[in-house]
Amino acid sequence: MYWGYHMTDTVVAESLAAAAADVLETMFFSSVIGEAPVRATPSADAVAARLQFSGARSGAFALRLTEAAAQVIAANFLAEETDEPSKPQVQEVVCELTNMMCGSVLSRLDRGAHFDLGQPAVVDAAEVAQPEAVSRAFDIGEGEIAIFLSMDAQS
Amino acid sequence: MAYRVMIVDDSPSMRAFVRRVIDLSGFQVDTCLNAGNGAQGLALLAQQAVDIILTDINMPEMNGEEFLRRLEEHDRYRAIPVVVISTDATENRMQRMIQLGAKGYLSKPFSPEALRGELERVLGVSHD
Repeated sequence: MYWGYHMTDTVVAESLAAAAADVLETMFFSSVIGEAPVRATPSADAVAARLQFSGARSGAFALRLTEAAAQVIAANFLAEETDEPSKPQVQEVVCELTNMMCGSVLSRLDRGAHFDLGQPAVVDAAEVAQPEAVSRAFDIGEGEIAIFLSMDAQS
Repeated sequence: MAYRVMIVDDSPSMRAFVRRVIDLSGFQVDTCLNAGNGAQGLALLAQQAVDIILTDINMPEMNGEEFLRRLEEHDRYRAIPVVVISTDATENRMQRMIQLGAKGYLSKPFSPEALRGELERVLGVSHD
């Protein structure tokens, strides 16, 4: 799959990694510790969100987090000091993370292009791993986060 | 000097996060109003004046672009500086929002220092 005539999957994958590190560290006070395998079958309690984008290219961007990773990221973002974030709070934060990371990835791929990002929504974690997607997964210490970017064919 | 701030974003957690980052940055806030979209922002402005507005773009009911258009149409609101905070870091989007009347633009992710710097830049103040 190609972003454009000059954009290989490798370049896209590198942008996923750079965006993950930047967004997680700056806004969610978490760090990428290392690469993790993109698991074909997610754990039953995994949390996932997806959004559609259009513009210079159209496609879908999705995140899938292990429950532990989602809990920690939500707690960090919400600055919860006592109670664990509720499930709706975790889902809202995962949607925010999806939104931010997608914007970061697309602007890294083509800063001069125009994109419209749709509203992120929580989806079934088993459905986000599309075979045509470029994917990366990362260990953030408390759990794993997998990123999936798929683009529609250019007309 | 402490400023009256309005944060417009459909995500309550993002509004809380932005407020927290403002506090972390050391920027002095007198009052902070929260709105879930542009329409709510306009309704709040009719009741209470603010010194600066921070707004998201993608929101239901009235998005950030329409919100900026409405502010520009209004004699009393046109002078309020608006900083757009968005996930969209493309030049195209930034220029469009500036053309609509935004005085500043901050793309997520952003640091407390970057947020404070942008607030002070559009307000024309320095923090000595």
